[in-house]
Amino acid sequence: MPDNYKDILSNPSNEVDQETLLLYLQNKLSEEKKHEVEKKLLESEFAEDAIDGLQQIKDKKQIACMVEMLNRDLKNKLKKKKRRREKMQLKDQPWIYIVILIFILLIIISFFIIQKSLHS
Amino acid sequence: MVYFPFVKADKYQHITDQQLLRQFYADQNNEWLGILLQRYTLLLLGVCMKYLKNEEEAKDSVQQIFLKVIQELQKYKVEYFKSWIYMVAKNHCLMKLRDRHGKMPVEINDRLAAAPEEETDKNAILQNDRTLELMEAALKELNPEQQRCVTLFYLEKKSYQEISNATGFTMLQVKSYIQNGKRNLKIIIENKLKDEKIPS
Repeated sequence: MPDNYKDILSNPSNEVDQETLLLYLQNKLSEEKKHEVEKKLLESEFAEDAIDGLQQIKDKKQIACMVEMLNRDLKNKLKKKKRRREKMQLKDQPWIYIVILIFILLIIISFFIIQKSLHS
Repeated sequence: MVYFPFVKADKYQHITDQQLLRQFYADQNNEWLGILLQRYTLLLLGVCMKYLKNEEEAKDSVQQIFLKVIQELQKYKVEYFKSWIYMVAKNHCLMKLRDRHGKMPVEINDRLAAAPEEETDKNAILQNDRTLELMEAALKELNPEQQRCVTLFYLEKKSYQEISNATGFTMLQVKSYIQNGKRNLKIIIENKLKDEKIPS
């Protein structure tokens, strides 16, 4: 009985990395490596759907650029969100309220002192 | 080997998706989400292309899916990230198609969010030595096309392209014969195992 029978029902846990997938899409892998990728793809509905879709992109060389642009856009969005959150956190700092309160108290006290000195 | 300067190897690849999510839930630092989501950019682009069949729309959809995922992860705890993001992507595309056609076209698969793909089931079958003994007979019960493609793929380790060249089937046919053949093999073996358990 060939050992390969096990492969038919096994579930290879290793996933295909993005670089290998791109090479696969550009038909730049050896037949042996292609077989390995295809075997892994058969185990994941997600990856299979993705390959079906990516194969519809006419210029396969553009796929890497598209991914890079999407990643850059994602990083920018996350940075903006982070900055906004930091600003919000700054607003929430209790010491700001304490400083404002002390400042107002100082103004009120000075007002009374000035008034008192004017009356006297 | 060709090098893709734009798709750099993930230097955090030793950290699993679940660990990244745990880190995010612990400190709410979006950078963890960035690392996690970038692992799926290519797959998401592919899924969106499959359903929407338009490059610009697919790119926009990936961006919208990223935003949705970031918002949802801040509200809910997700356990099986890969299955979950796949479901989010599919649902997003189906909504887009519905908007395009004015009706709901396809079903939404809840199973995806529940657990990773039938792993335990497969392993249970595999552990059974009798399964492998039955495989040879089960292979013969497949239709000739499926039998040929499954044999060439799994036993002779040929790629889809090589099988296509050897058989004259298209790549799509080869893929479909292997997928269906594999599914049928599993059913045939399960039935044989069941029959063996039932005393006649």
